Amino acid sequence: MTIVVPFPEVTAAEEIPKVIRLSHNLYALSFSLMKLIPARYILRRAVADGRIGADTVIVETTSGTFGLALAMQAAQLRRRLVLVSDPAIDDRLHRRLTDLGAVVERVRGEAAVGGYQQARLDRLAEVQAERPDHFCPQQYSNTDNPRSYALVAEILAEALGQVDCVVGPVGSGGSMCGTVAFLRSLTPDCVAVGVDTHHSVLFGHPDGHRGLRGLGNSLMPQNLDHRTFDSVHWCSDSLAYQATRLLHRRHSLFKGPTSGAAYQVARWWAAANPDAVTVAMLPDDGSRYQDTVYDDGWLRDGGHLRPPLPDEPRPVSDAGDASGQWTSFAWERRTLDDVRAVAR
Amino acid sequence: MTMVSTPSPAPVAWYLAPPQESAGTSQHGIAGAPAHHGELLQGVFAVDGELRRALVSLAHPGAGTVATFRPQSSPGLSVTDASLTKVRRAAELTMDELRALPTAPAGGVVEIVSNVPRGVGMGSSTADVVATIRAVADYHGAELPPHTVARLAVAAERASDSIMFADQVVLFAHRAGRLLETLGTALPPLIVLGCNTGADGVDTLEHPPAEYDEREVATFGVLRAALRRAVATGDCRLLGRVATASARLNQRFLPKPQLEVLIELCLRHGGSGVQVAHSGTVAGLMFDARSPDVQNAVHASTVELERLGLQVTTVLRTTTDAVRPAVRAR
Repeated sequence: MTIVVPFPEVTAAEEIPKVIRLSHNLYALSFSLMKLIPARYILRRAVADGRIGADTVIVETTSGTFGLALAMQAAQLRRRLVLVSDPAIDDRLHRRLTDLGAVVERVRGEAAVGGYQQARLDRLAEVQAERPDHFCPQQYSNTDNPRSYALVAEILAEALGQVDCVVGPVGSGGSMCGTVAFLRSLTPDCVAVGVDTHHSVLFGHPDGHRGLRGLGNSLMPQNLDHRTFDSVHWCSDSLAYQATRLLHRRHSLFKGPTSGAAYQVARWWAAANPDAVTVAMLPDDGSRYQDTVYDDGWLRDGGHLRPPLPDEPRPVSDAGDASGQWTSFAWERRTLDDVRAVAR
Repeated sequence: MTMVSTPSPAPVAWYLAPPQESAGTSQHGIAGAPAHHGELLQGVFAVDGELRRALVSLAHPGAGTVATFRPQSSPGLSVTDASLTKVRRAAELTMDELRALPTAPAGGVVEIVSNVPRGVGMGSSTADVVATIRAVADYHGAELPPHTVARLAVAAERASDSIMFADQVVLFAHRAGRLLETLGTALPPLIVLGCNTGADGVDTLEHPPAEYDEREVATFGVLRAALRRAVATGDCRLLGRVATASARLNQRFLPKPQLEVLIELCLRHGGSGVQVAHSGTVAGLMFDARSPDVQNAVHASTVELERLGLQVTTVLRTTTDAVRPAVRAR
């Protein structure tokens, strides 16, 4: 028997995802802000073991939800935070970050190789050099990032027991690789389906312009263990946006576009495998996207209403094939090198 | 998390049914305690922000110890088998605990009768110690709650199994003697085929405690969550997965030579998984007793185990009904 007790801080409350049944074998794992899990775990551990002292400045490069999660946790820990971001950072997010006390540094231009992401890393190195007493969470390489997702696996194990398939967006690799690795200690044959977007380098596409943000990457994160994945799907921005709206209309789940992409892939997988308990990771809520994904005019002007949602992905035999609206590839838990070697 | 206090468990088998022919005018105290067949889960768990070593024992209703306590007018305590030093210590500690009672004698003698194999991780020592504590209490006319029995047992033998909580499934801090969590009142109906994977016994106390890394500790949290669900919903398959994962995680500390062979064999015959004694040598193939084909599966597995050179040393059935007193089969 358990009783309800207060959460010690807001991040402890907001990091807990809800498991929601969408169909007889499809479940949503709905986060208000998934990145709170690694942000809270990394920062609290660093405070506990002294890597973050009373005057240590926390520094990180991010334009997205990890920055917001760090800002929330840093505020609760009463620590200063410097975030290095793109000039194109969402204005509302910027206001929220600064309201939480974070200093947001915007880089001016793109680097010759690696675009804004490399430019941000270069600026981050400068910020670190200026402040000897700093701590950088390094979500792309810090092994505490995947490890923090034991919490998610615990919740799934208690709520569902055996999970046959997890479908989720991939950006740093932390959430999918961490969650699935812990679930596999219990259920070694749990299937992992990664959701990426075209022209992200994560699973072998050439780097290029990506309309869909919040998943994919221009640089290869160390925390991405490719051998986690049984299959990989690439979703276009338009597909993700339409699926996000479908998720809202059909299930009243008000989520962001990476959630839409995961939902689209997961509902297809769950329908094709009706006996398999399937979980879709939905990383953040929709409030940041009300003027975009949730605005029909914006969707129409951007040409995102066509083509309509396809029923199934187009399987590709070459993981480097960056064309299409929705493509899939049988990754079969291989390394990126192994996949590339076969392609040659 | 809950801390449930329950009355001491009713007797279930011969070792728990004291033959009290002279009830009311008893000249001695007598009580029993069951053995176990290793654990369903053992590791390090985060509890209220602290890491604690803990385990979930798989009680074995078919084996146990009966202890008899006879008072003496002269001070001092002895055990008929003088090699059982933990038994003597347990009796002394219990005497101390109950010193204030008018029934307290000056000293006494403890006799142990047990059918628990020694040195294989079936909790022979804890069965002796708990039976002794209960026998001394019985003489005093006292009924000790399981928490007190646990505290005395750990004080007597440094680390104890959770068999004093006989009618519950508990996560028990075996070195601190503390109940961390009650997972449920009973396990789902299981048939466990037990075998001994080691030629030689293990001195369970001399074996150094496992040092788990952060990843393993995080994994134990996931296994604990799955175990909660398995017990609450009576899911044998999930229970087997938890036990198998726990056995695998502990392979680098006290390896069971043929663990993967046993797991493969068990799953192939429709079983749920394999549990082991984490500080011993026994292993058990777990089967859902409700499965229509379970008798064939158990038979085929037994034959195959023998082909591997492994004798089935015990067949364990979990008691899922409320335990009944005075079931004696001596």
